Amino acid sequence: MTKPKIALYWAAACGGCDVAVLDTNEKILDIANLADIVFWPVALDFKYHHVEEMADTSIDLCLFNGAVRNSEQEEIARLLRAKSKVMVAFGACACFGGIPALGNFTTRDEIFERVYIESPSSANENRTFPQTLTKVEEGELDLPEMFDTVMTLAQVVDVEYFIPGCPPPVDIILKVVDLFASGQLPPVGAIIASDKTLCDECERTKEEKKIARIYRPHQIIPDPNRCLLEQGIICCGPATRGGCGVRCVKANMPCRGCFGPPPGVIDQGAKLVSAIASIYQSDGQEDINRMLEDIVDPAGTFYRFGMADSMLKRKSLPQGERRA
Amino acid sequence: MKAARRIPLMKKMLAQFGIEEERVRLDWVSASEGDRFAQLVNEMTEEIRRLGPFSGNGGKADD
Repeated sequence: MTKPKIALYWAAACGGCDVAVLDTNEKILDIANLADIVFWPVALDFKYHHVEEMADTSIDLCLFNGAVRNSEQEEIARLLRAKSKVMVAFGACACFGGIPALGNFTTRDEIFERVYIESPSSANENRTFPQTLTKVEEGELDLPEMFDTVMTLAQVVDVEYFIPGCPPPVDIILKVVDLFASGQLPPVGAIIASDKTLCDECERTKEEKKIARIYRPHQIIPDPNRCLLEQGIICCGPATRGGCGVRCVKANMPCRGCFGPPPGVIDQGAKLVSAIASIYQSDGQEDINRMLEDIVDPAGTFYRFGMADSMLKRKSLPQGERRA
Repeated sequence: MKAARRIPLMKKMLAQFGIEEERVRLDWVSASEGDRFAQLVNEMTEEIRRLGPFSGNGGKADD
């Protein structure tokens, strides 16, 4: 019997998901024993044409990390979808848009303006921007087209499973490999994590959820045993799926929401607005104004990893720039 | 009273999404103020009609 084939790809991502796969340490050898890795740009020297030459559905499992924010990533997502039996959105970016999807609060033009003109290290008097096609003496050079809107993998192709996390923890990666090896993969559409919220899995002492002011993490040294929210630190635990091992909270840092919304919650950010505002104590408009001041960047805080997957998906584009 | 805190926070967030402030309104009407209720609903309807349909223009999946 031939070994199953695995492909790994990174799109709009930081590389942390690939590092998480390597964090399986010696277990990576088990994975290599179990399956042939046929494509993994970060680690192995395979090219796109190698994948193009494969027969459709000849890859058994594709772990796709990163969001989709340009035409190359979209093309490879479609290519790998066609070649793979099982497509997995691997990590917060592929599942929900992740940090790259914070770019949905701006547009391609604004990003180009910032990067190529305004940034202090740029000297670009001729306003040269990347072009998708450039003619030079030797011929035409092309670059992928950057999109205005960052998308999740599932907004581009069909996805069988979702493994959330920034990055996915090693125990979940190994669990998926085990499930795959033993042919016990869950029903299609499953999110491979916990079905509880992070708060349900957090062991900190929780008393009454009432806060009178909000601290940003650098403004306070939190008690390591008491609920961070009750100490006035915005923790996304109430509206975040568990299964991560409560990694951040154990390190005395609040949950940032990288496991996405828990079961039953459609919009993680909206749920957090509801949760945080309802525990804030107020005696009148003055207190409410203070809360609004204290929560400096609600959209960026509550949709830190979930922008592309949220109900609104992006900041409204200016009139006239809306795509059909 | 939670709504009194939730709505302002949500409005601050919706502003970051570029959504017109007038699309969300919190007001208080007693059960005995039928006229005022009708007036507020009419005002809101007119306001939304003026703004036109909302187009979020999000990810391709819902286009």
